[in-house]
Amino acid sequence: MAMSRWTRRSFLHAMGTGAAAGLLGACAGAMKGDVAPKSGRRVVVVGGGWGGATAAKYMRLQDPTVEVVLIEPNRNFVSCPFSNLVLSGIRRLDSLTFDYDGLRRHGVKVRHELATALDPPARRVRLAEGYLEYDRVVVSPGIEFQWDLVEGLPEAQDRVFHAWKAGLQTAQLARQLQAMDDGGVFVLAVPPAAYRCPPGPYERVCQVAWYLKTWKPRSKLIVLDANPNILSKAALFRAAWQAYPNIEYRASSNVVKVDPSGRDVTTEVGERVKYDVVNLIPPQRAGTIAVQSELVGAARRWCEVNHLTYESVRQPGVHVIGDSTTGLPVPKSGNVANAMGKICASAVVALLNGKEPPLMAPGNTCYSWVNDREAIAVVNVYKVDNGKVVQIEQKLTPTQSEGVAQNSLGWARSIWSDVLG
Amino acid sequence: MIHVSLIIVLLLAGSASAGPLDLAGYDKAFTCSACHGFAGNSKGDTVPILAGMSPAYLRKALQDYASGRRPSTEMEPYARMTIHLGVDDVARYFAAQTREPTPGNVEPAAAARGRAAAAPCALCHGSDGKGDAAKGIPDLRGQAAGYLYNQMLLFKVDRRSPGDAALAPLKVLMKDIPDETLADLAAYFASQRER
Repeated sequence: MAMSRWTRRSFLHAMGTGAAAGLLGACAGAMKGDVAPKSGRRVVVVGGGWGGATAAKYMRLQDPTVEVVLIEPNRNFVSCPFSNLVLSGIRRLDSLTFDYDGLRRHGVKVRHELATALDPPARRVRLAEGYLEYDRVVVSPGIEFQWDLVEGLPEAQDRVFHAWKAGLQTAQLARQLQAMDDGGVFVLAVPPAAYRCPPGPYERVCQVAWYLKTWKPRSKLIVLDANPNILSKAALFRAAWQAYPNIEYRASSNVVKVDPSGRDVTTEVGERVKYDVVNLIPPQRAGTIAVQSELVGAARRWCEVNHLTYESVRQPGVHVIGDSTTGLPVPKSGNVANAMGKICASAVVALLNGKEPPLMAPGNTCYSWVNDREAIAVVNVYKVDNGKVVQIEQKLTPTQSEGVAQNSLGWARSIWSDVLG
Repeated sequence: MIHVSLIIVLLLAGSASAGPLDLAGYDKAFTCSACHGFAGNSKGDTVPILAGMSPAYLRKALQDYASGRRPSTEMEPYARMTIHLGVDDVARYFAAQTREPTPGNVEPAAAARGRAAAAPCALCHGSDGKGDAAKGIPDLRGQAAGYLYNQMLLFKVDRRSPGDAALAPLKVLMKDIPDETLADLAAYFASQRER
């Protein structure tokens, strides 16, 4: 582009006078420049999970004149909900794996690459090679693990699995469990609140315990919970665990060290626990781009947002949804991220068109499977009160049942198609 | 005649999958799609399709869930929330959506048995299950089979809206029908399609 304005004479002159460096600099800048110049209004969505994919789809539905670009490194969406059942062998990972073609049919431009940083003053999202401009950006980066809070963990990632982002690690942890001898010890470490999916670790305890009871009856499952009690549906999980005498649950046992060669973990109070297989779910914070872009608060863990529009309180024009947010009295769940995606989509489209954003609150339904046939559930509903989301009520299923498990399958099929279809 | 209607239905299905987005109920119904599917087209077996539902029927259902007359852990708080947001807007939104029949697999043999047993149902619901919105009788065609079956079981043991006089004849009818036949009836109506 710039080259076409140079005459042969001025080019040679520049070469001679040492402006060559500047010329080369200009060329290098063009290669690291705008990867897809925008012509009209554009919203970039960072992260194609439960929040980001939903937001991208719904923005296209509400205003097809807005270009929506979704940046997601993974070519497939793998559902964390139901992935605990892959560990017990009740579900297959491929039944939880979906592509992004549905979003493409809605006109979302899906780019499978990593967004490395935000540049809010310039309204750009940086990629590995170049950048994208935006009018507004929705950041839904999920969680990242605080590896350095567990000694020995950063260097042990090839052997010590979290399986807290469904996909490869789910399969790897399942293989470790299957390969464990009957009589072996499985240790599950639950991180301190707040973390993705409060009941998730306890559902995993049920699934692993059911698997061991069924296939390796001499094995034990030791739960080292950093928290002082079961964080969600506590009475229902305790009731479910009555069926699993192989569970040993230890509260207030925060794991701070892992030694894969000695095959043990150590808790904050110095208690050492030996394992044959360990599932160490590390402490968590918002996805890296949220930290890098100064969307997080003083503790540098989660992003505070406007309760109605999800606009970051720290960076105008940047909306944050899903697990990486804080401040709303909602759990970090896929259901909540999906709801936030829809509300945020409405808000962004309204703001782009000079209209008032809606006054909507999310809702949450959370199902947990306690064996191979039965599930329990909790429902939280919310409303907007004076610009803030507040809880109206919470309801728990009275007992575990097959009916609740059937409803959870309906929830899964409906919500996956709502997010991706 | 049939071909023209089919084409119209297909066209509507294609263009109306997003629904009339400017309806006031569109935003208010956001949390419903997690279970009931995008635009109320549930993909599950025990969660009902709301798309195309008579607004009066849906309104009554939400009122009965909110009060506990219809038993459901999940629906009780959501029904109360919907009433708080404005149940009429939500009911009008879903009524305006085009119903996609349940994607669940229906065993043809079960549907055939159900058709053979459906004569008593036809008295109110019509031979195909279309119902009568003006009389508060729902359209069963293409509805999720597991949901239909569960509701019939609740009618049979009078756990759905006990004391509701309008439902008394229905419950009397259900009492003598074996559960397996109820399952066949559910399969039959789930397999019925709008013409």
